[in-house]
Amino acid sequence: MVSMDPSIWIAAFFTIAATSYAFRDNVVFKFAEYTFIGVAAGHQIVMGIKNIRDYGWTKIMEGQIIYVLVFVLGIMLYARFHREYYWMYRFPIAFLVGNGVGISIRAAIHSDFIVQVAQTASTPLIGGGAMGTINAIITFVGAVTAIFHFIFTQENLHEGTLGYIPKIGRWLMLLAFGASFGNTIMSRFGMYQGRIIFLLRDWLQLV
Amino acid sequence: MSVWEKLTSLPREVVMGLVIIAMLIPALSPLGLPLMTGQMSQDWYDTIEALPEGSVILFDIGYGSGGYPSLGPGTIAAFHQIFENDLKLVIMATALEGTLMYPLVMAAVQPESNYGAVYGEDYVFIGYIAGTQTAMAGVLGDLHELVTNDYQGNPISGMPLMDNVGGADDFAIVAYVTTSGDVAEGWVYQAYSQYNRDVLGGTLSMMTTSIKPYYDSGQLLGIMDGVKGAADLEFLTGHPGDAIVSSDILTFTQTLVLIFIAVGNISWFMQKQEGSG
Repeated sequence: MVSMDPSIWIAAFFTIAATSYAFRDNVVFKFAEYTFIGVAAGHQIVMGIKNIRDYGWTKIMEGQIIYVLVFVLGIMLYARFHREYYWMYRFPIAFLVGNGVGISIRAAIHSDFIVQVAQTASTPLIGGGAMGTINAIITFVGAVTAIFHFIFTQENLHEGTLGYIPKIGRWLMLLAFGASFGNTIMSRFGMYQGRIIFLLRDWLQLV
Repeated sequence: MSVWEKLTSLPREVVMGLVIIAMLIPALSPLGLPLMTGQMSQDWYDTIEALPEGSVILFDIGYGSGGYPSLGPGTIAAFHQIFENDLKLVIMATALEGTLMYPLVMAAVQPESNYGAVYGEDYVFIGYIAGTQTAMAGVLGDLHELVTNDYQGNPISGMPLMDNVGGADDFAIVAYVTTSGDVAEGWVYQAYSQYNRDVLGGTLSMMTTSIKPYYDSGQLLGIMDGVKGAADLEFLTGHPGDAIVSSDILTFTQTLVLIFIAVGNISWFMQKQEGSG
């Protein structure tokens, strides 16, 4: 028994329309694409207005006048569309960049550098069973050889017998890229199989 | 044109058609292939299990409709476990469409009827907050300064759950499920590095290789690795759903992809040999 819910039919139509692109670009796909862009843009505008109201306007109404500054900076962003006053948009951009960097840089150095180096250095090469030892050795060899690969200031590190070290690093990085690519395929299929289940279960009610 | 040349120049319609057929077969007739629970998902599950009753979890729904088929089932399984263990949830969204995914997840979990949970006492949805790391820092720093109303516009100040939550120290753990690399890293930066909170991360499979170093270094206590992670959690929590069905489909489809890769490579070498011969 096919679903009688109109919303399910609409979703099914757009799923099939979007899928049709895999075979050939066509007018049904274009319709689905433009509809999606329109809906997404509409949703974004509504959420944008909601954000301005919830996190800006409400605060001003509560008497927190400092939030007027946020509105002024926001309006200044639109100066980039004016030939004469376009330079004004640099101030809010500078504020955004400074704020973003200030919030993330300390934690980024800690998480991506200090903790990673400490963890790699403190992992014993032997221990944790056979697999643990193999993993630790791969991590150690991978870290050292990959770092070697990116040392460009000393040309002789890439020549002769020493040249094998960055080459091993390169091969290990290629293996990592391969694993990433395999995961990407799995993610893409993971996204689409959800729609297959939707079509068979919710629309056609076959499963 | 030799057989090898024909194989390497298969029209994409044929390839796509075969892939769709490979998805349809296990979807119509599940194969029930065995599921091996991964350590990363097991760690996610164990971390939630170890939390004392009443602990508050900050959960970020950081994905939209595109990510829902991969990450939605995992979120549903995670919420089942959280409500089953009488834990509290403060839910937010760092993705614009996360606000649209929240009702889908809740419709599947049904915390009121299944677990007797009460909105405002056991869980609250504070909606989408723009700014990624700025939003995270704001919520963890002083939640009430940043957020005054929930997503529906109700003041959070009178809610029993929110009266006990002011910032990072009040969250036992921060969990996120996202399709965004910035969000995946951002929570590690802000929750773990800045506020020393335990963090659980859920991402698409293609992002797992990027966030795995955080798991290996103890900055993430567990990872929900896309559909695979979601299927693991469904199995561990005893709430089988879409992800377990999807596992069959993925296994079957990816086997076909492996065959395509093998055929493509063999054809390439054979053509090369024929050319040199």
